[in-house]
Amino acid sequence: MIKVFINDKLIHVLPGMTVKHALILTGLLKEVEDSKKVYDEWGNEVGFDGALSEGIKIYVK
Amino acid sequence: MKRWGTILYSILIFFLLISFGHGEELQIRILHVNDFHGFAEPYKPIGSDEMLGGIANLAARVEELRKEKLSLLLSAGDMIQGNNWTNLFQGESVMELINEMRFDAMVVGNHEFDFGQDVLRRRISEAKFPVLGANVEGLDSLKPYVIKELKGIKMGIIGVVTEDVPATTHPKNVEGLHFFSPFDIIAKCVKELKDKTHMIVVLSHIGHPVDRMIAEKIKGVDVIVGGHSHAKVTKPVKVGDTIIVQAWEHGKALGVLDLTLKDGKITSFDGYLEEIKPTAGKEDQKVLAIVEKYKQRMASVLDDKVGEVDVDLDGERKNVRRRETNLGNFIADILRELSKADGAIINGGAIRASIKKGEIKVKDIYTSLPFDNYIVAIKLTGRQIREALEHGVSGVEEEEGRFPQISGLTFKYSPSGEKGSRIKEIFVAGQPINFEKEYIVATNDFLAVGGDGYKVFGEAIKASKDFLVIGGTMKGEKVVYSHSGKWLRDGVVEYIRERGRIAPKVEGRILEIR
Repeated sequence: MIKVFINDKLIHVLPGMTVKHALILTGLLKEVEDSKKVYDEWGNEVGFDGALSEGIKIYVK
Repeated sequence: MKRWGTILYSILIFFLLISFGHGEELQIRILHVNDFHGFAEPYKPIGSDEMLGGIANLAARVEELRKEKLSLLLSAGDMIQGNNWTNLFQGESVMELINEMRFDAMVVGNHEFDFGQDVLRRRISEAKFPVLGANVEGLDSLKPYVIKELKGIKMGIIGVVTEDVPATTHPKNVEGLHFFSPFDIIAKCVKELKDKTHMIVVLSHIGHPVDRMIAEKIKGVDVIVGGHSHAKVTKPVKVGDTIIVQAWEHGKALGVLDLTLKDGKITSFDGYLEEIKPTAGKEDQKVLAIVEKYKQRMASVLDDKVGEVDVDLDGERKNVRRRETNLGNFIADILRELSKADGAIINGGAIRASIKKGEIKVKDIYTSLPFDNYIVAIKLTGRQIREALEHGVSGVEEEEGRFPQISGLTFKYSPSGEKGSRIKEIFVAGQPINFEKEYIVATNDFLAVGGDGYKVFGEAIKASKDFLVIGGTMKGEKVVYSHSGKWLRDGVVEYIRERGRIAPKVEGRILEIR
């Protein structure tokens, strides 16, 4: 189990899970399907299949 | 003899110095991709209005950019698994492609292990370039690093992969292998390489956040070419003395890093990501021919017969979202058997089409199960199973996709009862459920993270302490199986192939009380 922050909210996912899983878990998938994008804490856009790692912070905007 | 040795050494040094022009600047270009996942053809990403990618266009740009400067073409891993274009050939198609593109080196990604070690060894043996994995022990065909020489400049290229591989693939795929923390391994390789090379590149399939930590903690790494997090690092970043790059995913971008060197040292750098868009007439024709060849083979593989079914398999939307169906039972049984779980719960919405009685082809399974779902098995208490099933039947009148298709379990429910109190009886393996007891329940990754509103799986994951891989098996407090590299539909294809003939039935697993 790894801890991930999405829009500063703590969530828990399994190793091997991806940005897509974090979006499903937080109910943010629809927003990204519509127009928003996902970024890491340094402002890099990340793909849906991007791996999540312990403590990673991602943002939907 | 010693005198001859001294003379030869002096000549070597002389040629080394004049070869990269003592005091002169030299430019080297690193072209890089990562997390291609077999996306050979352009596609429209979610949320995008335009088509992106297309390996034939990317390959053409590689050739154009190579002509401008001395170049290396590197891959930061996860090349051979993902899209059907590669999965149906266990990565052989990608290897042919990247051999044609003349890659200089590649690191294994975690998904390179998803087809098992025999297949991976075969893929590595096909590669016309070194495949790296310094922190992997037990797979001899992986090299820790390679030294590449461009006009007298010697570049040490070290490859490292995430140490989480055993937790993300089937235990059999990593049996006998050990994955070490990349930090100590990189430091060791840097020590070995620093006197033999002018610069050191780390090919990292660990993710951008960890790449930054490596740059902060380990001295002597000049460049990190990253992957795994699918980050679109549009301009190279410098952390400490290390330049870090990463080129998004799926061949939607080609990474370009231009280094200027003087006396063998990097004096400046510049770089960018070039987005790849399908442009007719601008493709690399040889690469395009490979893409087309495997596209045709794909059609043939999808048309392959996998077995026979004695009955129509019911995957109709109005049925899989309202009641038990034989196709729902069959798929749930496969989840339970493959993960050795006590029970299985999947969402009816995961099943998208029926399959007619008679011959079953690969494409029938792919049409019925179009989503890239994989199996996860989690320990749930009897009480949590009831909660999951209550949730599953709470949208039956609206034909919501969360309606459960199950295996190893049976239950009775009242469709007209109050939501949250519809379940009347639950049995596990024929015995009344014990609400306090823990059972292993298989599901798909979508439900495991709360998809379709199934919260209990996520709560169990949250309650699970870190898990370890011991003796090739994942040992966790709540999570006992997670194979992120194998799509459920491929498991179903294999299952039918092994049996040849199937005849699943509706068995009264879900009974309505009126």
